[in-house]
Amino acid sequence: MDLGREVLDQQLVDRNDINMGKVDGIVLELREDSPPRVAAILTGGHLLARRLHPRLESLARWLTRRYGPGQMEPIRIPWEKVMKIGVDVKVDVGADEGSHWERWVRDHILRRIPGS
Amino acid sequence: MIMPAREIRLEEILGRVVRTAAGRPAGRIEDVRVLPEGEDYVVQEVILGELGLRARLLSIAAQLPTLQYLGLAGRHRTRAIPWEWLDFSDPERPRFIGREGRERPEGWKEADG
Amino acid sequence: MNKLLKIALGIFTSIGGFLEVGAIATTAQAGSAFGFSLIWAVVLGTVCVIFLVEMSGRLAAVSHHTIKDALRERFGPRIYLVTLVSDVLINWLVLAAEIGGMSLALQLVTGIDFRWWAIPTGFMAWLLLWKGSFGLIENGVSLLGMVSIAFLVAAWKLHPSLAEIGAGAIPQLPDHRPVHYWFTAVSILGAAISPYLFYFYSAGAIEDHWDEDHIGVNRAVAAVGMCFGGVLATTVLVVAALVLHPRGIEPERYEQIALLLAEPLGRTGFYLFAATLLISCLGAALELGLATAYCFANGLGWNWGENVRPREAARFSLTYTLMIALASLLMVAGIDPLQLTLFSMALTSLTLPIVTFPFLVLMNDRDYVGEYGNGWISNTAVIVISLLASVLALVAIPLQLMGG
Repeated sequence: MDLGREVLDQQLVDRNDINMGKVDGIVLELREDSPPRVAAILTGGHLLARRLHPRLESLARWLTRRYGPGQMEPIRIPWEKVMKIGVDVKVDVGADEGSHWERWVRDHILRRIPGS
Repeated sequence: MIMPAREIRLEEILGRVVRTAAGRPAGRIEDVRVLPEGEDYVVQEVILGELGLRARLLSIAAQLPTLQYLGLAGRHRTRAIPWEWLDFSDPERPRFIGREGRERPEGWKEADG
Repeated sequence: MNKLLKIALGIFTSIGGFLEVGAIATTAQAGSAFGFSLIWAVVLGTVCVIFLVEMSGRLAAVSHHTIKDALRERFGPRIYLVTLVSDVLINWLVLAAEIGGMSLALQLVTGIDFRWWAIPTGFMAWLLLWKGSFGLIENGVSLLGMVSIAFLVAAWKLHPSLAEIGAGAIPQLPDHRPVHYWFTAVSILGAAISPYLFYFYSAGAIEDHWDEDHIGVNRAVAAVGMCFGGVLATTVLVVAALVLHPRGIEPERYEQIALLLAEPLGRTGFYLFAATLLISCLGAALELGLATAYCFANGLGWNWGENVRPREAARFSLTYTLMIALASLLMVAGIDPLQLTLFSMALTSLTLPIVTFPFLVLMNDRDYVGEYGNGWISNTAVIVISLLASVLALVAIPLQLMGG
């Protein structure tokens, strides 16, 4: 399996098939006497902004602190929680453990609009 | 001596140019190949691609049959090399240490032409 | 029945995405200034959009990925971001033009200045997205959109010469005012080949759970739906050529375009024109709002869908809400809707390769489309037409701006 092509940037879905972001990063654990193993996948936070441009990351940090949920660390999902890699990457967590922004927008903006 | 980081990020090494100890570019990291090993997925090989904008454009053009007919798309070459041939102690500057690299003493790499 | 619904999706896409303010304004310009001689641009645009819509349906059916989703996966965040920026900018301008179109339709009927209508019409579009389901939007608007057949009736009553129409379908050099001619050609191409159309279509196909069994239906839908749109756009051009061209009227305001149907169909024609403008622009506005939200959600992995409650796809719903609000504001600011329309259509042409080239690569990648990859005809057609549109735009836009 090629990690870049088949896992990185793929759609991440939770155990109920709800979208919870993309695979924005992959953690490889270096080991003393054997080749590295895949330790975790990362999503959200400012990972994507950092991959694009450091400036964009500062902007995202400022935005999150000033207006958003404040929480900016990416979500780390241990590799053991990966259930299936196909069209999507399915992981054994709930989407509510997913994006801080999604929850923040829902709770702070959408709930105030009637009919949401 | 610098302690190597215990963890590295795939997204940070993809696209990096691998250089030999002498600073000569050896290729661009295009992907990392893993295989299941028991409970884990373990890194086997690193896919290196040719360098240069031309090579990258060709790799994209190669997929369009139309351009192939027109002879515009050259072949994009990659090679898979064992993980052990690379040194990631500085993830931003991966180094190519070659087949015997691990057996050689530390000082050898700088001296190598 | 199910297949009929699929075809409804195609026809809706064509009415909302094809015969909207852009197509009406650009073809009316073309007909009034150059007679039948720009019909070829409509034909070329229609051919290209048939291929592209068919591709986006096929990509969704085979790979179960929307375009933006596959784009992010295959090319990574950088290329995705480049296409996103271009799409959002264009969609914003075009959405403003559609809201302007709706507002002008209401101005025609009520006499109240269009700026007053920008917020109410924007709100109406938003409310439909907020409360409505995909099916309601899809079928409701395509049914109402049938009113645009009025153009077909009008063209029929004017007895155009089919031989002359046929002659106009052959690309030709202008005999006067070359800058305006090429600028209008570019705008027509941009109006026909609107990228939001295929984002909308591919997301709709995912939302309707298409699979490989739908490839045949998809081909029919793309061909029938887009041809229908192309024929309607041609009739607008024909009517303009027969009504406005002989009188030397070149519409500088939408009120003048309203003459199109008033001439052959009388008072009824006037109201039919207003109704067509209102409904087709509403359809396009809904598609644009959704398409922009799809562009973000598909590429960034947000939960999305027109069939879930807004709060279950929070960032998705917020995106179309903001998009509509910002576009309405542009209209309130008093930008001339006709000029904005023509300009944003030409800009669409300019940016076409940014959108179509990566898409073509996907459509040839076996990892995504397997054995259903593109043939050389569709590849060549899309490459040639989008390059042509872009190069023409690169030349015509600055010249038009300098001249105007």
